[in-house]
Amino acid sequence: MRSPSLIGLLLVTPALLLLAALFVYPLGFSLVSAFTVEGAGDGGDRFGLFNFVNAYELYATDIAFTVLIVGLSTALIGIFAVAIGGYLTLGEVGFAVALLRWLYRWPLFIPFIVAAQCMRTFLAKNGLMNNALSAAGLLEPLSAQSFLDWRGIVITFVWKQTPFVALLVAGAMASIDRSTIEAARNLGASRLRALIEIVVPQVHAILVVGLVLSFVTMMSVLSVPMMISGNTPTMMTVDMAFRINAYGDYGTANALGFISYLLTGAVAWIYLRRGVREGPP
Amino acid sequence: MKKLFLAGAALVAGAAMAPAMAQDVVLNVATAGSENMVDYVIDYLGPMFEETHPGVRVNVVGTGPGDAGSQAIFEKLSAQSAAGAAAWDIDVAVVHQKMGGNLVREGLLASYRDQVETGALVTSAAADNALGTDVSGYVIPMFHSQTAIAYNPLLVADAPATYADLVEWTTAHPRQFGYNGIKGGMSGVSFYMGWLYAMTDDAGQMMAGPYDASVAEGWSDALDGLKAFNENVTFTPGNAGTLDMLNRGEIAMGPVWVDMFYTWQADGRLSPDLKLKLIGPGMPGQPMYYVTPAKATNPDLAREFIELATSPQVQAEGIVQRFNWYPGIDASHIEDFMSPDAWAKLFADVTPEDLAANGKTFPIAEFFDLALENYERHVAQ
Repeated sequence: MRSPSLIGLLLVTPALLLLAALFVYPLGFSLVSAFTVEGAGDGGDRFGLFNFVNAYELYATDIAFTVLIVGLSTALIGIFAVAIGGYLTLGEVGFAVALLRWLYRWPLFIPFIVAAQCMRTFLAKNGLMNNALSAAGLLEPLSAQSFLDWRGIVITFVWKQTPFVALLVAGAMASIDRSTIEAARNLGASRLRALIEIVVPQVHAILVVGLVLSFVTMMSVLSVPMMISGNTPTMMTVDMAFRINAYGDYGTANALGFISYLLTGAVAWIYLRRGVREGPP
Repeated sequence: MKKLFLAGAALVAGAAMAPAMAQDVVLNVATAGSENMVDYVIDYLGPMFEETHPGVRVNVVGTGPGDAGSQAIFEKLSAQSAAGAAAWDIDVAVVHQKMGGNLVREGLLASYRDQVETGALVTSAAADNALGTDVSGYVIPMFHSQTAIAYNPLLVADAPATYADLVEWTTAHPRQFGYNGIKGGMSGVSFYMGWLYAMTDDAGQMMAGPYDASVAEGWSDALDGLKAFNENVTFTPGNAGTLDMLNRGEIAMGPVWVDMFYTWQADGRLSPDLKLKLIGPGMPGQPMYYVTPAKATNPDLAREFIELATSPQVQAEGIVQRFNWYPGIDASHIEDFMSPDAWAKLFADVTPEDLAANGKTFPIAEFFDLALENYERHVAQ
């Protein structure tokens, strides 16, 4: 019995060391830095909440803004992913289903920074979108407005993350027992009702996984808010980059990072609690 | 940890320079700044110097953009100095203004301006004062880059001449002026520093020191004024964002880097109709400096290299005509070496007199940070 467990331990050691060196150590380091004030008073370091006070005083609005933007984006992503997955599962026009299946995954392969760069010219006041709308006679050129603010960030996030969640959800929807859908349809349920009452409840665990992962990803994106709207209010990642680039102030940046951990941690906790209560999907 | 890092950096830089040892003499030129600065030395200056100096090879090391690039040069020289090396392996360095001051204070540079002929052609104030440090003799500016207000003459018939005029104009034309705040690039930061120079009495002390944090207590009117001003402006996404929005006609005016403006116009990315105005009482700009370390391996060659780089002909051809920067030496010396068209283009909107009167420096480092912090605390809230 002893030697197999020793071998097991040996096998897992490299992975553990890698995890410790590349994840646990930097995480611990940034946590400590968040609570440290360098060279306070007598030149030595001091532990305290100074960085958090600073982060709160300067960036409370941005923290709230970040939560709202990412929260709204997550909700919209959920709706669109279910709509796409639902149409792929319940759609009856074969050609449209094939076209959608082919189209919807494209944004998956485009990096955030490229998406942001495209949106920057697409969503501008005299950008491609407004120009196309006014050329089509749908928009008066004078009433055109720029979407390069919080709306631009939400649009980019939703555009970029929806395919990811839709991919997971569509896969789950394809594997549910179709007889449940057919029974509902035979009893006269509309497709929308079948989607909401029969399909979504069966895939909701996967949907939540996709949304939690999207939430965490969006919390960490710097390029999109930076390129679309880096001004007040803005997202926490922009503030973190600014603290470091402008002041070399890692303390406050790490305090903001710690607040991000708390936010994503809370979301993950909600998910885990559900998972434990309901068992694995 | 830091020492280990320095040793590592020195090792990497040493390895990069090693293949050159086979030649008779190698002149090591380290340049901070973006890719175009490195290309400038590799493609233009280096070959020109090698042509007139047979047996010499110019080895160019780019240390990266922004202050971090200058920091790398500082750390390497500082490490070699601390190790007591007799000859340091950087002969010529190109550094940012802030780091030029630090290098002089740490005693890492040689005073050379009196020993090169072109030293007498230098007149800019930035050649003597680097954000509060006296660098006279130790540096010659490679070029000067300046911020100014770009505007669309189709939308703005009579461009404002001062910050006060601009405030009035934005009240009459809400959201037609755009800038990128302080988190989206240096053109916005520069506009903000100019605002403080214009709206407080502290411009002189901010640029030359001495530092005193209590100065900021007198800024509340200026900051409140800026907060009100911000209600009437459009925020742009970055330095390039301001130019893009000007080009699409979404804003009529905004602060830009002059060299970027002219380069974009030359590339056809910006309407040729747009114009520049350097508004009073002034907006900041900054030079890059040619320096040579106190214990350069080839001090004489280094001086000759800088002499070539700051000669009127090279300044006219390379700095002004290729990159649209303002010359590091006095502009009057380069006029003979430029076509009348190119000369007229460079100084059409911003005249040498404007530049002399309204071209300011950035505040010294401590005031710079204090100003940014105050923007975040009072304007952005």
